[in-house]
Amino acid sequence: MKAVGARLPRYDAMGHVTGTTQFVDDVRVPRMLWAKMLRSPHHHAAITRMDTSRAEAMPGVRAVITWEDVPLLTYGHLEALGIPADEPLLAKDEVRYKGQPIALVAAEDVDTAMAGVDAIDIEYSERPALFDVRKAFDSDSAQIHPWGNWYPHFEGEMDRRKIRKGDIDEAFEQADKIISGVYRPAAIEHVPVETQVCLAVPESDGRLTIYSCTQALYFTMGVIAAHLQVPLNKLKVVGGTVGGGFGGKVDTASDTVSALAAMKAGRPVKWRWTREEEFLASSTRAPWHMEIIDAVTDNGWILGRKMLTLHDSGAYARFSPYGVTKHSFHHTGAYTIPNLHFDGYVVFTNRVPTTAMRGFGVTSISFAVETHMSRVANELGMDPYEVRLLNANRINDTSPNRIRYTDPSTVDVLQSLAGAEGVQLEGAYAGMTRDPRSGDLLPDHLVGQLKTEGH
Amino acid sequence: MDIDVRIPDSSRAAAADFGDGSGVSVMAGGTIMMNLLNSYRAQPSKVLLLHKAGLSYVNQDGSTVTIGATTPLADLAGLPAPLGPCAANIGDPAIRGQGTVGGNLCAIASEEFPVGDLQGALLALGATVRSTGEGGERTEGLAEFLSSGGSRLLLEVSFQLPAAGAFEALRRPHTKHFTPLAVSGALASDGEVRLAATGAASTGVRLSSAEAAANDPSEAGQAALEDVTLADDALASAWYRGRTLPTLVERVLTQLKEQA
Amino acid sequence: MRIEVNGAGHNVTSPPLASLLTVLREEMDVTSVKAGCESGGCGACTVLIDGQPRRSCLTPVVTAVGSEVTTVEGLGTPDSPSAIQQSFIHHYAMQCGFCTPGLVVAATAYVNGGGSDDLDSVAEAISGHVCRCTGYNKILEAVAAAVKSSEFDLSSTAVDKNTVVIKTGGAV
Ligand SMILES: Cc1cc2nc3c(=O)[nH]c(=O)nc-3n(C[C@H](O)[C@H](O)[C@H](O)COP(=O)(O)OP(=O)(O)OC[C@H]3O[C@@H](n4cnc5c(N)ncnc54)[C@H](O)[C@@H]3O)c2cc1C
Ligand code: FES
Ligand code: FES
Repeated sequence: MKAVGARLPRYDAMGHVTGTTQFVDDVRVPRMLWAKMLRSPHHHAAITRMDTSRAEAMPGVRAVITWEDVPLLTYGHLEALGIPADEPLLAKDEVRYKGQPIALVAAEDVDTAMAGVDAIDIEYSERPALFDVRKAFDSDSAQIHPWGNWYPHFEGEMDRRKIRKGDIDEAFEQADKIISGVYRPAAIEHVPVETQVCLAVPESDGRLTIYSCTQALYFTMGVIAAHLQVPLNKLKVVGGTVGGGFGGKVDTASDTVSALAAMKAGRPVKWRWTREEEFLASSTRAPWHMEIIDAVTDNGWILGRKMLTLHDSGAYARFSPYGVTKHSFHHTGAYTIPNLHFDGYVVFTNRVPTTAMRGFGVTSISFAVETHMSRVANELGMDPYEVRLLNANRINDTSPNRIRYTDPSTVDVLQSLAGAEGVQLEGAYAGMTRDPRSGDLLPDHLVGQLKTEGH
Repeated sequence: MDIDVRIPDSSRAAAADFGDGSGVSVMAGGTIMMNLLNSYRAQPSKVLLLHKAGLSYVNQDGSTVTIGATTPLADLAGLPAPLGPCAANIGDPAIRGQGTVGGNLCAIASEEFPVGDLQGALLALGATVRSTGEGGERTEGLAEFLSSGGSRLLLEVSFQLPAAGAFEALRRPHTKHFTPLAVSGALASDGEVRLAATGAASTGVRLSSAEAAANDPSEAGQAALEDVTLADDALASAWYRGRTLPTLVERVLTQLKEQA
Repeated sequence: MRIEVNGAGHNVTSPPLASLLTVLREEMDVTSVKAGCESGGCGACTVLIDGQPRRSCLTPVVTAVGSEVTTVEGLGTPDSPSAIQQSFIHHYAMQCGFCTPGLVVAATAYVNGGGSDDLDSVAEAISGHVCRCTGYNKILEAVAAAVKSSEFDLSSTAVDKNTVVIKTGGAV
């Protein structure tokens, strides 16, 4: 037990402070080319014409990569789990967000690569774009994908993540008050100080070495291999030193196209995004639209919750269905509500695709639930600690997805929080524990919560 | 494409290289220009670099202060309010060491955000500008210089030390490219009060209605809202600027009164 | 054009308006200087020019001719880290480390310039630097501590880099 409580060193600290840690951009290989991407200037458009011949003919340009060069154009991270993908590696005949990658130019230096990008002839026909998840959800909105604006592939080809628990109608019949709220946290960019960067090196034995800033090396490897249609043993992905990721570098954003360019040019290719590209086209945390309607009693019990969640996926699905699933499991927060009716949708908009970020899917719901708990307390004229403690998760309560809690910490956390804030809790609340419910803390509506598991 | 880079070694050589200014891009500290070059937003054919032109100086002659165009912002820190504190409020130590007075005043106002924090302090000080370009050298008030479209080479700015001065800005948690809102005030030795704001609109503006009400700082604060159409951008909403401008004006005037 | 970097001369082949950042990284392989934004906004490319902190991405290389450029490599090495480098290690003032060389350089200019250990004034000194990982407090503490002492005991934190500390109870 020497480790617990000891000052343990960071093994990488000396490298960091002396500048000797090697990040992807610091790897040096001879004969390296630089890459630049042609990105969509429009939020939503059809590509009516594209001609790369002028770029290809430019002195110093060594490879131009378009959708035609990608062996398997459409593949997604969740495909390994049987979830169909919807995002082409490079846009083919349509673009659905501003900054979407279309064609990569690899050249002897950055200026030439940039000039090559400028030399690609391309024409678009603009389409109406949607930026608000609530508007995109409406059935009469412009369509972003052929199948509409809702992600259609939850288990059993359902168009939403559904949770039904207990008897929601009964809960609303018994309620003294109905308290509702709408919560809309905005998108957040991860802003790693190291922008997306990849160095792909073709080796003489036909393999590719890929220096990647990925946070998820084996995901990345699988995704590259699938797009390239090569066996995994053709790829050596070198990762491990990430200049900040926060979830944003779970997406394989730069590796696959760099690999294709390196193969086509037969030379190492580095593609480092500018800060502007990072802001424009790297994935963000999703904006959410959450509507909560609670059935509550005058003495502070929450009998039931109806909830609608719209998760703004941006233009493509990526990991969003997974985020909504996690979100749905947490939609009562740290509290026990026995009767639930939850519908969560992944909705497409013409924003940049959204992805994981620190507590994927759960930070949004925590914000909504905690704000809503205070609103409930406010409308009932009760102390916000008391409403929370009354409904707090206790041992043997069950989560929305019917997991029995064995080690819930809500009661302890609230009590320490009150202590830290200098709030004096009333006797019953100060002495409350997380032990299984009994007596006053087991009102009728909670007696049945375990029995309804089969519903 | 090769860029014709000129590095004049005197202000006369700089004026000669600049000529009437057509086709010439000026670079002083480069804290704005280099960003434009790095991102391919500017692709100039001829660049005039000023770092060796002998334009970096702060001279005081009696109550007249004269500052050369390439004086780094850091060198202004010791000057009295509003100029000293205004310069110290810009960017961070690296930006203040490299960015210059001329670059700050001549930064091209963009639609994205306001520029040029020093404009406010120097407008409040009633500064004059000596510049060269089409028609040769001339000296004019800063406001006229700014409104003439920035196609001249700024050589130096001069002003009279004020009897009292004050500078107030919205606090920023981190270096932003520009201060979202700042107010400068100066009481000239002849008793005239001048107020100017930066960050409120795309260039610095005199707050003449507020000046007219200067005896009552709180009333002047409200009056300032008539002097400017407030910018609404990523640094701050027009609403926020509208709520805070009167407070800054009031604080500046209160300080001027206390000093007088 | 010839520039002096960490005490050694270098003949520049890039054009005069190339950024010092590009010349250091791509011509000279001085990779501690990071390209975080190339627009002045992050501070990861900070170097000392004649002892003063400068954004190398905003510095045309020709303006560095005749000056002494110092990067973090010139401040200390793994065998003999400077006090500030030691203080960063001791205070855990980093996570991913991408911002760290720039911060160490800026902190060095601040401490050498007689900066105080007042946290507000340290914060102003490093206000041009973005660190997305640490939350800044540990960085402020590290710089403030380096104002007061010139040596930090790293022995408590010296463990074989290959030791898997947490997972194998036996190894510690
Ligand atoms: C991180 C960061 C933070 C910043 N924070 C602030 C801030 O808080 N407040 C603020 O006001 N600014 C800020 N700036 C902007 C800029 O650094 C300053 O305005 C600085 O003073 C510009 O001076 P410069 O010499 O570097 O300009 P340059 O980049 O050299 O030039 C800027 C413009 O002025 C022109 N110019 C330069 N000198 C002359 C001259 N003598 N005559 C005619 N035209 C000329 C150039 O052609 C160019 O258009 C910030 C910039 C960065 C990168
Ligand atoms: S790279 Fe120079 S400040 Fe970010
Ligand atoms: S340690 Fe990661 S950005 Fe600072």
